[in-house]
Parts: sequence; C-alpha cells; structure tokens
Amino acid sequence: MSELLPPPPAAAERQNRFVSDNLRRIFLQIYRIVGNIADAQDLTQEAFIKALQRQDQLKDEQKAANWLSRIATNTAIDFLRRHGRVAFCEMDVHTESEQHSPEELVLQSEHRNYLEDGLRLLTARERAALVLRDVEGCSAEEVARRLDCSKATVRSHIANARIKLRRYMARRKR
Amino acid sequence: MTKHPSEAVLALFAGGDLGSLRRWRVERHVASCAECRQEVSELSELRAAVPAMMEPPEISWTKLAVEMKANIRLGLEAGECVSAGRSDARGIFSMRALAVCGSLALLLAAFLLERPAPRIEPMTSEAAFLESSGSGIQSKTGDQSIMLLNTRARDARNVDYLASGNAMRARYVDSETGYVTINNVYAQ
Repeated sequence: MSELLPPPPAAAERQNRFVSDNLRRIFLQIYRIVGNIADAQDLTQEAFIKALQRQDQLKDEQKAANWLSRIATNTAIDFLRRHGRVAFCEMDVHTESEQHSPEELVLQSEHRNYLEDGLRLLTARERAALVLRDVEGCSAEEVARRLDCSKATVRSHIANARIKLRRYMARRKR
Repeated sequence: MTKHPSEAVLALFAGGDLGSLRRWRVERHVASCAECRQEVSELSELRAAVPAMMEPPEISWTKLAVEMKANIRLGLEAGECVSAGRSDARGIFSMRALAVCGSLALLLAAFLLERPAPRIEPMTSEAAFLESSGSGIQSKTGDQSIMLLNTRARDARNVDYLASGNAMRARYVDSETGYVTINNVYAQ
C-alpha cells in the first residue's frame, strides 16, 4: 500500500503563497455575491481546494489568479442557485478596530439591514454581474467571460440590477 | 426633444456601458431633458454607493484568514487521502479481479477438458429453445422471443457462452470496472 507523501517543499511553498496572495480578494469577491460571512468562508475554502487540486493550472500566476476568480464566481453562483437568493444571517462579529457606542451599532445595523433588503431583490446572476462590473471594475467582456454568457446578457443583468436598486431606494425615500 | 431613452438604457449609460453611438445619442438627450438627467444622476450615485453596500461588516480578518488557510490545508489533505484510497482500492480490486478471473479460467479449462465440446448452437427443449448472439441470450417459443441483453458487455468478443442441458450461460467481464457478470437462462 502506498503511503501519502507530503507535497514537495517548493510546491507546498507555492501553494501557501498562492493562498496568501489571493485569500482576501477571493473572500471579498464571494462575500459580495453571497452576502454572508459564514457562507463566504465555506465557499472561499471550497474554491481554493478546487483550484489547488489542479496544480498544473498554477504555473502562470496571472492566469492562475484569473482562473481562481472564475472558480470563485461559479462556486458562489452555484451555491445561490442551490439555496435560493442571498440569505443574510446574523453573526458574532469580532472587530479588530475601535469599539462603537450602542447607538452607533444600532444605526450601523439599521443601515446594513436597509442595504441588505435592497440587495435581496437581485438574482444571483444580477448580483454577480453588478459586483464584477461596479465593484471590481471588470469590463463587460470580462464579466461575460467570468459568467460564461454573452455581453448582451451581462448588460441586461447590470441594467436590471441598477434599476431594481434605484427603485428600492426611491421607494424607501418616500 | 427626442424620445426618452428607456430606464435600462439610462442605467447602462450611467455606468458607461453603452456603445459610442448610443452613448452620444443619450448624451444629447440627457443634456436637454431634466427628468432623464435626474434619473442618470440618481443611477450614478447608486453606482458609486454599490461598493460600500457590498462590503462585509468589520471582521477579525487575521483570525478568519488563519482559520480558512487551516481548513484549505485540511481539505487538500482529505482530498489526497480519498484519491489515494481510491487508487489503492482500484489496485486491490484489480488484483482480486485478476485472481478471481484466473481461478475461474482454470476451473473452466479443467471443466472443458473433462467434457465433450459444448454445443454452442441453438438449444431446444420441448417448449422453447435458446440461442446465443453477440448481444445476449434469446429464448424463443413459437413466434415469441425474449432476449436477455448483455448490457454491460462493450465488446461481443469478451462474452463467453456455455450451453449446458436446458440452460445457457453468458459470462463477461466489464472492461472498465472489472466486474464479472454471469447470466444463466433456463428453457422450460
């Protein structure tokens, strides 16, 4: 019976560097699509495991980073397809920075709930398209590549997302 | 004034997502239409606010990163265990399959040497007869027939037929899984 051998030191080091270099970026990318820290954590881990199991794809760092982003987007969208729309949940959040007063925390929480209610109106693909275009600044071509659809579909998702959010905010202002 | 552009067109215009010709047309309209200018202004504000809307709450990133890195390592190790287990199991299975096939081949050879050559022709009984073909064993009664297909046999050459008394046997090995399947059909 063959024994499990650890990856060679150079490969292990490359893996660790790849994870460290991309972890925060991928976590944020997934969080923006799923809107939930616990799910974003699980899905980030899943995306990295999927990517690192294909070592041969990691030789070119730039290509590997793009490829990882694509895996992350697809993993998050698949998750939303399986679980319906974005599900925000309360979490014990331990902050690293300054402490807030109870009033500030209430206001922050209300503002967050307000934004989350608006984001709930978007479908998984609308949200993903909006994140990639308006938050990450990808071109429509790049978004289409990442979402594996046409540029026209991307434009439609982006327009729908902006319209839904604008209408939601207009309703709330009244 | 030209006709108002649709809400979707204004939403795309606000984000710079229109082609140059369309953008020029919308620009011209917006310059002369206060209503559309207001809508574009709101959409632009919204667009600027989106990144902040998508930011996670303040979290202990260091702790979260350490936890995720540890889980990724664990997941990779678990994946390696599973794939190594699979390949070991495949190895063991192939060895076992080989041993079983070898024993069966020996038994079959001894059996064939000890008895007269089997008739591989259609066998008859009083009510039905059996016939072997590349795809299975067929039982015929008068005008009616029923066939037991060797669905997993990918190549007819891998199928061995053996006729015995009022029964016929088909034996084949699935080339992918190594499973040995034996079908016995009895004519009554």
